[in-house]
Amino acid sequence: MARVDLCKTSEVDEGSAIRVETGDLLVAVFNLNGAFYVTDDTCTHGPGSLSEGPIVGDTVECDFHNGVFNIKTGEVVEPPCMIPIKTYPTAVDGDTVYIEV
Amino acid sequence: MPKITISNANIAYVCEDDTLARAALREGLGFPYECNVGSCGNCRFELQSGEVVHLRANPPGLNERDIARNRYLGCQAQPKGDCTIKVNLRDNYKSHHLPRKTEAELAGIDDLTHDIREFRFNLKKSNLFLPGQYALLSLPDVEGARAYSMSNVTNLGDEWHFQIKRVPGGEATTNLFDKIKLGDTITIDGPYGMAYLREDAPRDILCLAGGSGLSPMISIARGAAASPVLQGRNIEFIYGGRSPKDICGEGILSTLEGYGSRIHYHPAISMPEGTEGWTGHTGFVHDIAEMLFGANLPNFEVYFAGPPAMSQAVMKMLITAKVPVGQLHFDQFY
Repeated sequence: MARVDLCKTSEVDEGSAIRVETGDLLVAVFNLNGAFYVTDDTCTHGPGSLSEGPIVGDTVECDFHNGVFNIKTGEVVEPPCMIPIKTYPTAVDGDTVYIEV
Repeated sequence: MPKITISNANIAYVCEDDTLARAALREGLGFPYECNVGSCGNCRFELQSGEVVHLRANPPGLNERDIARNRYLGCQAQPKGDCTIKVNLRDNYKSHHLPRKTEAELAGIDDLTHDIREFRFNLKKSNLFLPGQYALLSLPDVEGARAYSMSNVTNLGDEWHFQIKRVPGGEATTNLFDKIKLGDTITIDGPYGMAYLREDAPRDILCLAGGSGLSPMISIARGAAASPVLQGRNIEFIYGGRSPKDICGEGILSTLEGYGSRIHYHPAISMPEGTEGWTGHTGFVHDIAEMLFGANLPNFEVYFAGPPAMSQAVMKMLITAKVPVGQLHFDQFY
């Protein structure tokens, strides 16, 4: 496992997400009530970008085809997506959000 | 010559007499797309300045929220002048063989079943494609281009073949089956599509097809049979139809080297009533695949094509069987 720093905590407002590209990774960093979660940014169904989708509770809706994922677990909540979105173990060190890959 | 600037990628390209997505793909850019006919919505982009007009009015791939956000479909939007857009380019949409438009002459036809016919076109300007890809055919007196997958493989790019199923009452296939004659010319634009043969995948190959999904799967099988790096791989081909009269493909596959040893054909019908003497499988394609290969499915590189209900069922079965998503290849036309 290697640590990959993604962003500063101040870059992601509560209830929103940003898209981070680093190395081979293209991920969405979510801030849910002050806790940070990271998933792949590209929807498992099409080229939609999950960081651009509306967030409701613990879920994000892909604004391309309206599939919905649970941000914390990656599971599919609403079709047409059938494949869970990949989630990453996420932690905060000081003001840096990072994942283990 | 309208200039298109992609603001979030700092890239500009020219789009003349073309759609924004296709002009980008012809330049080798990874503009996201899939169906190319306005249905799937994968080619959405945000128009930041300039004006575009959709080829197809009210395309189903766009919803009201998209319209409110000034989003358009790249495969349908033609610029009326210089434009600035926002779209996330991705490498997996880049073309190996850049798509081009060319005239093509119908040089041969063959009936494969009562409603599937092979159409062989000679291209005026040759272009290569990868096994499993598709092209847009513009037919005389038919509005809008239609997407059909090629069934052959080609080293020269001068011949593109299509196995097409007649759609009862369908404008495009009625035109193809009943009006176009040998020697007539149409326009072919391609190749497109990401469901092509992965020669670098070190696995056996499973092709699942129903209806007009035959064409790209035959191309995949032909490509895999001919590929030097895939010589050690098995090719399992399941083809499903309603009744025995819908079944075909064995005649083509049996001409491939390795047929019967590493290439196997598994026909299946879903409506067995009144078909005594049928020696193939009975059931849906996804069920037959699960029955034949079960726990071994994750070891396959899987290609599938067919009507939406079949594709959905296949997809669901494969995900449940824990086949890694990267090993699934199909056109997401909806």
